[in-house]
Amino acid sequence: MSALSTYRVLELSEGVSGEYCGKLLADFGAEVIKIERPGTGSRTRSMGPFGAGSPDPERSGLFAYLNTNKSSVTLDLSTDAGVQTLARLLDHVDVVIDDHESGWLGSVGLDPACFEERWPGVVLCSITAYGQNPPEDRRHAEDLTVFHSSGWGYHTPGGAYAELPPLKGPGRFLVSYEAGMEAAMCIVSAVYEREDSRKGQFIDISKCAVMASRSDYVLAQFLTGEMDVSTSRGAFDLGGPAGIFPCRDGYIYVWMATPFEWEAYKQLVGNPEWAKDLPPDWLMRGLTPELIAHCRRDLCEWLRTKGKDEAAVEAQKLGLALVPVNEPGDLLASPQYRHRGYFAQVSHPVLGTALYPTVPYKLSETPARITSPAPLLGQHTGERLRAVSGADVQGRKS
Amino acid sequence: MATVQRKRGGPLQGVRVVEMGKIWAGPETGRHFAFLGAEVIKIESLGSLDFTRNTSRKGDINKAPGFQSVNPQKLSAQIDLKAGKGVELVLDLLRESDIFVENLRPGAMERMGLGYEAVKAVNPGIVYVSMGMYGNDGPLSYQTGYAPCFNAVGGLSALVGYAGRPPTGINVRYADSTYGTAAAYAGLVALVHRRKTGVGQFVDVSACETMTSMIADTVMDYTLNGVVHGCDDNRHAEMAPHGAYPCQGGDWISIAVSSDAAWGALAAAMGRAELAREPRFRSLADRKANEAELDRLVAQWTAARDVGELVSELQARGVAAGKSQNSIDLVSDPLFWERGFYPEVTEPDGHVKSTVGPSWKMTRGAAITDDAPRLGDHTAYVLGDILGLSPDEQQKLADAGITR
Repeated sequence: MSALSTYRVLELSEGVSGEYCGKLLADFGAEVIKIERPGTGSRTRSMGPFGAGSPDPERSGLFAYLNTNKSSVTLDLSTDAGVQTLARLLDHVDVVIDDHESGWLGSVGLDPACFEERWPGVVLCSITAYGQNPPEDRRHAEDLTVFHSSGWGYHTPGGAYAELPPLKGPGRFLVSYEAGMEAAMCIVSAVYEREDSRKGQFIDISKCAVMASRSDYVLAQFLTGEMDVSTSRGAFDLGGPAGIFPCRDGYIYVWMATPFEWEAYKQLVGNPEWAKDLPPDWLMRGLTPELIAHCRRDLCEWLRTKGKDEAAVEAQKLGLALVPVNEPGDLLASPQYRHRGYFAQVSHPVLGTALYPTVPYKLSETPARITSPAPLLGQHTGERLRAVSGADVQGRKS
Repeated sequence: MATVQRKRGGPLQGVRVVEMGKIWAGPETGRHFAFLGAEVIKIESLGSLDFTRNTSRKGDINKAPGFQSVNPQKLSAQIDLKAGKGVELVLDLLRESDIFVENLRPGAMERMGLGYEAVKAVNPGIVYVSMGMYGNDGPLSYQTGYAPCFNAVGGLSALVGYAGRPPTGINVRYADSTYGTAAAYAGLVALVHRRKTGVGQFVDVSACETMTSMIADTVMDYTLNGVVHGCDDNRHAEMAPHGAYPCQGGDWISIAVSSDAAWGALAAAMGRAELAREPRFRSLADRKANEAELDRLVAQWTAARDVGELVSELQARGVAAGKSQNSIDLVSDPLFWERGFYPEVTEPDGHVKSTVGPSWKMTRGAAITDDAPRLGDHTAYVLGDILGLSPDEQQKLADAGITR
């Protein structure tokens, strides 16, 4: 038995955040019914990476990844009949996920303000850029602009690059994945409570607040004045010699802050003369630009002949947190990722068979599993509508 | 299962969590549980303090800002786990708890006598959340690291940087809280399962894999097509312009143009509507082919302008744009304050301050009222109220140095 298999989720989302949220639930067995617009389907179907062949709605690797274990029902929510069918479906679901802009839910008859009166047992989660009813100057948003509103943009990479523009985060959808995960966490907590209370509730997820809360360790210290607020691009930074360094076959990242790590470093690079009389806690209390430069120079010299995995093994054995800077190929080859089965082979009727990233947690009793590939557009329309609500398919454009 | 006495509402009211979290990631997991209404008890001891208790300039472990940031609304019991009796007490507490969270090095809990099998023996229903850089076991699980290491291993660092230069990675602070959130989600799924079946389980969370999940679609481009993405400034395959552009006074504006219509609106705002009709910029493909020149023109326009005015103007025209907020902006952002994202909490000494609250709002959320605990503030609650030890018995434990 999967952990969430008794729950039925209606997914109205057409973006990465809501679809990722639905996926996280579906991979634990929740029955996720995805509502898609007839013709083009979800917006993510039109986004890459596409598999071989011409880009078409069934070849998006993004959609395929985000929608495993779901069924697809097409419903035209721009028609009254579609909205009525949606309302009937709502009588038969436990959870609704949406990630359209604030106000959209109202336009399909699900205004959060009166939702609870009509469907008191349903958990409704809305993921938006800035929460419900944003001000005029926050109405249009993409992941990049939210990344910058949240503080991560201005402080990436950090103060050492203040003469260059701030950078985006890794990949295209970091902000959306984060918000989707936060939404899934809140939904599961609400579902847990509902087992006793029999009540649903409305959950308002702001992508910007999610991202800002990811910096809580520093942000809370800015609020109390323990850390100085400023216009510095380095306001989030930590000092010291830690960083990314080149090696024989790529790059490594090394962390150094404590006396323990300093001892390991010295041993690794062969106890250089300049390091001999330094206090053991200089990395915490005695940083100077000269010492940092020495430290980095000798590390780079040591790394010159080492491969990144080889360097990591030697350093880690001494207790130094040195790791490879990996690319996807490294992850697929990683003995650790293989050991944990992070990549799963999935066969999709159009996209073919490929390895998909799965989830970062292993549950001993109810592991997440991919049991079916992402649905074709409208694959389950008639079957699901009838099975769930006995509704006919008037809302669907043929 | 747990009989929890402190009720603040929220979906996890009545759930008891025992947390042995260190630094940021494990404590973040506990923080989510606390913010959702659970009673979260940190087990700490003077002999093996969380490093963040040492972040006070005055050396006060009970008023350490780093620690306080990630541990509001939790309880603290001081129990020495180097003593066998201390471990027994924790097992007794775990018998009365629902979730256990730890992010010590793999193997450390087993050596202490608090590994999954030992805890399961006293409480088969326990949800045991174990967090490690590479997960709990496997060929590389002996390796350790901090947040930027997770980003490097997970494949994120290689994607952030200036074109033609070595990667820089995202800001050094990113990763722990994300990883802590993944652990909280997985733990709650297990809690739901326990609620329905009575069956507990072991939840083994990998920091590096959490990070890889944040770029899963980029990884899919490799598994499907063999494509490896590298550092490309602020570029985006489906949007142009897409980046951070300089404004007056050292400010930056982020602009992301996701359609031809939005590009037309941006060009009009620039007073150069004709740009949108020029062959070099007409379609997304055209703009991607001439992106350096496109970025130069946009930056030239933004450079002499006030960032707030620019954002208003672009938003009014339907273009996604926002100020790149610095730390002053973050603490003064009215939207965060109106949302209740910076709730007031009371420190144990009575001082009232604002802290970072939950990102979410929900109909029946938990009250957030207390700042982080002083070391051992709730030892008596745990020993007396939960474990039912008499004052005499508690005194004996304190005299023996096992509790304080």
